Amino acid sequence: MTTTTAPELRIFDYDTYAEGDPATFGLPLEQYRYLRDEEPCFQQEFDDPMLIDKAWVVSRNEDIWEVDRNTELYAADRGYVNIWQVVPIDPKNGGMPAMLTTDGERHRAQRQVLAKGFTPGFVRKLEGKFRQYAKDVVDDALDKGTFNFVHTIAHNMPMEALGDVLGVPPEDRVKFFGWVDKFAAPFDTRITASFDEVMEAIGNLMVYSEELAELKRREPGDDVMTRLVASGEGGEPLMSPEEIMGNVALLASGAAESTRTAMSHGMHELMRNEKAMAWMREHQDNLPPTVIQEMVRIASPFTHLVRTATRDHELHGKQIKEGDIVAMLFAAGNFDERAFDRPEEFQPDRIENPHVSFGRGPHKCLGQHVAALEMKILFEELFQRTSSIEPAGPISYVRDAYSRGVYELPVTVTPR
Amino acid sequence: MKITVDTDLCEVHGDCVVAAPDIFDIGEDDDVVQILNAEPGEEYRAAIVQATKMCPVAAIKIEG
Ligand code: HEM
Ligand code: SF4
Repeated sequence: MTTTTAPELRIFDYDTYAEGDPATFGLPLEQYRYLRDEEPCFQQEFDDPMLIDKAWVVSRNEDIWEVDRNTELYAADRGYVNIWQVVPIDPKNGGMPAMLTTDGERHRAQRQVLAKGFTPGFVRKLEGKFRQYAKDVVDDALDKGTFNFVHTIAHNMPMEALGDVLGVPPEDRVKFFGWVDKFAAPFDTRITASFDEVMEAIGNLMVYSEELAELKRREPGDDVMTRLVASGEGGEPLMSPEEIMGNVALLASGAAESTRTAMSHGMHELMRNEKAMAWMREHQDNLPPTVIQEMVRIASPFTHLVRTATRDHELHGKQIKEGDIVAMLFAAGNFDERAFDRPEEFQPDRIENPHVSFGRGPHKCLGQHVAALEMKILFEELFQRTSSIEPAGPISYVRDAYSRGVYELPVTVTPR
Repeated sequence: MKITVDTDLCEVHGDCVVAAPDIFDIGEDDDVVQILNAEPGEEYRAAIVQATKMCPVAAIKIEG
């Protein structure tokens, strides 16, 4: 038997992540290993009115690929997105429909509307603008000398970059992403004092998204919001008003916080790992994509997402019934030795990297190329303009079992 | 080796473009991926196998 026994499993407990061990990327890697080895289809029960009742948890890399890709057996459109009861994009539970909660033809149609704003080619055109933001952010950091990396760098860079991609006017960005931060961390009272604040933030975002849609109909731009409100050849809108609201909420929540999280865990790991830091210095003029994907892997910004079984079937000896919820524990799949060479090591030049942080199926992250470019440019700028980047205090994590935010990462930089 | 993409499936995720940029491309107004070289040489096999594996909707097929 392995070191962890079943009763100690606390994989969906927010304190597990709030009190995570910085030496294992803040993740309960031993618990994940136990699940993968001993309970690859694990029945998790919850006893909290804010959460769903129970879920089958898959944790092996290969099984996550399968659940994510087999949308016919594991549907995304039958309610719930993660273990929370309330998610603004869950139309089965009071939210609005969005890509991530739609399957089949309607999913494809929504994706088609937006995909052109996210292809690798389109994203490459944003490089110049992203460089400017990275420069401004690093200027600010150098002025400060010692600062909270999460806020000074990892918050501000995605906010501006995504503001551009989405088409949120500069003067609205702070409030727009502020609402998102509230509903992205509903259980951390340092960020969101009460659940009423969560509901208020969702409400504000929905109202704002209608205003923004109106603005884009009047004054179209080369941005995602304009695509969302566009009409097809027959003059019919491509998305319903509900889909517009849902997808704004999805884009807002999927984009900024996750990228910030990936950057922060990545920065933290570099400061504890001399070899990786030296490798970054060697490659700082043109960072290879491998290091960015490796940061996204160890960060696992969303620990999991859920699907619903569409019929009775068996998985690893367990009887899954139609309507049962199946959770893909991405964070565990990212450390599966069946899929990775020495998964517990951060390897900036890792070539075989089948990580599941962006998903792997038809819902695979639409913003993956944007996120990767933002991270590449930000780290290039930061490294090129500093001679050293050192920790100035311990890391602390957001209290949440879904989004793996870093709360504080004190850093001191020395200019070149 | 011959490459085909099922254009009914392709959702322009772009993973194939990242894996094999010499073979696949997505232009600004494309609704599906474009194959730049449908009968590439063996030297591209590894990249194309990777693209096939990475495609989130399994739209790419290799013959031969
Ligand atoms: C490191 C940063 C990011 C991570 C880790 C991440 C993660 C994810 C994950 C896990 C999914 C669901 C995949 C699945 O179910 O298979 C997803 C979907 C999505 N993401 Fe991201 N994301 C990131 C950045 C972004 C950015 C920057 C944007 C937008 C600009 C974005 C927009 C979306 C959208 C729209 C979807 C839904 C796609 C669909 O359902 O078809 N994400 N993302
Ligand atoms: S990876 Fe698949 S879906 Fe994406 S562009 Fe290539 S063929 Fe199309």
